[in-house]
Amino acid sequence: MASDQPLLRMEQIDKQFPGVHALDHVDFDLYEGEVHILLGENGAGKSTLMKILSGSIPRDSGRIFIQGDEIGPLDPERAQELGIGMVYQELSLVPSLSVAENLFLGQLPRTQIGAVDWPEMFRRAEESLAELRVDIDPRSEVRELEVAEQQLTEIARILTHRPRILLLDEPTSALSDAERERLFEIMDRLRTRGVSIVYISHRLAEVPRVGQRVTVLRDGQKIGTLPVEEADEDTLVRMMVGRELTEQFPKHDVEPGEPILRVQDLSLDGFLSDISLELHEGEILGIFGLMGAGQTELARAIFGLEAKSSGRLYINGQQVNIRRPTDAIRHGMGFLTRDRREGLVPMLPIPPNVTLAGVSQIPLLGRLKLQNEKEIGAQFVRDLRIQPPSLDRLVNYLSGGNQQKVVLARWLASGSKILIFDEPTRGIDVGAKAEVFALMDELTQRGVGIIMISSEMPEILAMADRILVMRSGEFTAEFARGEATQERILRAAS
Amino acid sequence: MTEKTSTGRETVTAPPAAAAEAGGLRDALQQVLLRGGPLIALTLLGVYLSLATPYFLSFSNLSNVTRQSAITAILAVGQTLVILSAGIDLSVGAMAAISASVAAVLMTQRLEFLGMAVGPVPFLVGLPIALAVGTLAGFINGFVITKSRIPDFIATLGTLTTYRGIALLVTGGLPVPSHLTATELKGYLPDQMLWLGGGTVLGVPVAGLIALGVVVIGWVILRYTALGRATYAVGGNREAARVSGINIDRTKIAVYTLSGLMAGLGGFVLAGRLNSANALMADGQELNSIAAVVIGGTNLFGGEGGVFGSLIGALVLGVLANGLNLLNVSDFWQRVFQGLVIILVVVFDQWRRRRFGR
Repeated sequence: MASDQPLLRMEQIDKQFPGVHALDHVDFDLYEGEVHILLGENGAGKSTLMKILSGSIPRDSGRIFIQGDEIGPLDPERAQELGIGMVYQELSLVPSLSVAENLFLGQLPRTQIGAVDWPEMFRRAEESLAELRVDIDPRSEVRELEVAEQQLTEIARILTHRPRILLLDEPTSALSDAERERLFEIMDRLRTRGVSIVYISHRLAEVPRVGQRVTVLRDGQKIGTLPVEEADEDTLVRMMVGRELTEQFPKHDVEPGEPILRVQDLSLDGFLSDISLELHEGEILGIFGLMGAGQTELARAIFGLEAKSSGRLYINGQQVNIRRPTDAIRHGMGFLTRDRREGLVPMLPIPPNVTLAGVSQIPLLGRLKLQNEKEIGAQFVRDLRIQPPSLDRLVNYLSGGNQQKVVLARWLASGSKILIFDEPTRGIDVGAKAEVFALMDELTQRGVGIIMISSEMPEILAMADRILVMRSGEFTAEFARGEATQERILRAAS
Repeated sequence: MTEKTSTGRETVTAPPAAAAEAGGLRDALQQVLLRGGPLIALTLLGVYLSLATPYFLSFSNLSNVTRQSAITAILAVGQTLVILSAGIDLSVGAMAAISASVAAVLMTQRLEFLGMAVGPVPFLVGLPIALAVGTLAGFINGFVITKSRIPDFIATLGTLTTYRGIALLVTGGLPVPSHLTATELKGYLPDQMLWLGGGTVLGVPVAGLIALGVVVIGWVILRYTALGRATYAVGGNREAARVSGINIDRTKIAVYTLSGLMAGLGGFVLAGRLNSANALMADGQELNSIAAVVIGGTNLFGGEGGVFGSLIGALVLGVLANGLNLLNVSDFWQRVFQGLVIILVVVFDQWRRRRFGR
């Protein structure tokens, strides 16, 4: 923070996506040799702001200055010329190529006759990696590396372009504590070399360790910028959450009954360690976690989609062995996947999609009850108000909300007593959301137990009887209904 | 919801049912346009040929076309099951050859087996053996694909060559029965086998009836059994099938095994028609059967289609080959035309689906 003029200044950046005001006239600046942390909930606009700066998406309006000079439209090449380098959330390496080839992809060193200069490339790759003080063999294939090493390779690759401004989008979600610390050391070194860094994070705890200033975004708006000395966790959480809860969630009080599902010491290598939980009849158990906390893996492991390393499952007090989904279905479980497309067979109409879970419960050459199937299809089309109410229409041509209802209908039709919903409202509109919640409420009144995994805090607060918070594959907190607040949940999750 | 559901169902579903009947005609018409592409192609081809040559519509020629198409149709039914599950079976021709060869050798030769002289076995033993060999070969395909997790294309490319090789070993590279073995052991293929390939019932070729029966069996499996539904689900969306509890490996092994069974039957009937089995018979049938499936409107990537389309597809190929023969088109040009027709039919089919699809 030597000079008074910022290296980078973004003024009134605005971006609309269909139906979403992703960035609402946001200002942002960055000084030379500074690490500036960008915080916000999912969908707050952090990644959008960084993608605009790296030229991968255009801005609708707003001005960008580097060292006081205004720069016009940005595309990735132009951003690279200006010394802006971005490390994306999702890795963009070629797994089957060597580390060195990945580092210099698109700018491979050449010999005089135009062939690739392999010795020169490996020499320069070793140099680049040594500069970061990371111990990776430039000759090894990227797919053989650990995720953390891949992440470091990605960073090294961006650094071969000698950026003045480095954008790191949530690089720590895949890293362990030790690896994260190593990354911070690298950031410190880069900073002393005069590289300025924008660091997007979900983790409040690391704020004082890595940065000098913090900017908080919420719903596409800038809430404020603080020096880290003033940015204690309470302040940051208030800034990040800050919105009113709207009461549009139908939820009746249900007296939870007997435990129907008990998970004991469930582990999944690299994702979950010794998870235990209990689900009661008529209960909605909310599980909240930030991206990659292991909540999806937990759901998939319970349902037999992932091989558990250890752990026991009890249903109605009886220990059960669930090795694949058909076992789970036989024991009365149902699973709504995070991605709707993983749940539907697009080129079949509604009735076979609704009854699909029953297919595995009859022998291969056993007869389907086609008439029965039509009636079940018709019943759910009516009960769930699926539009249009056609039994012949392929589900491929239904809207997102109606597709979600079809998958829901499958688990209602299978008579499941234990339902696991992974992000049940993802990508569906407000009206359909309310219908999904009403349905969940009705199910619990019939004694069904629901595990609701959601990253939408208002939804989980309103619907869940009990909330478990996950971080790095473990539960870090449990709240009873009414006890939880967005602040407390977020603090436990990050 | 509980009380109302049971009583209300009748009344509530009644109006849509009535509406469906009213819209039924229009729907049916749309269905014809939507699904009838291959049939339209076959009709056009038939009309053209009956105008172009007086021989096409003759009874003996139509019988001939039926016999020729029957083998492709039988193999194409198994191929349809495999392709619907998002697989591909390149070994159907080889499985037909190995099944027919093994059965033919056993039915015409006396073999030393563990010190005992066996055979020649009668027809009623030979037919089950052919079917069993095909079934086993198909099962091996499915097993290799699912357990070693290699692509269907590669696995069946490998077994295609392997099965042909084993068939060569079994027959010693000679036709069965050949002049050599025939004089030595006076074995001939049983009459019933020749009847299956070349006989008629009330004037209708037996091979055609068998093909029709196989098509019906394929249709019943696809429409009415759990296996059929699982096949569409696995081919349409593997992940959804998995989440719904469907055992993907078992489904794939089942469809490959059925494909082998049908190839065994097809090979047996073909050997009956030719009055001879050999290790290299049914050459090119793997591609013919795939062409028939695709012409029949089944999605090559799985999940959509059915066996009746494949029957029409086999007939299109058969009629085309026959017509080109009748028109004295040279064999070289026949290949050119056959290739072009496959492309044209599928292009037309795609266009029609985009135009009339929902």
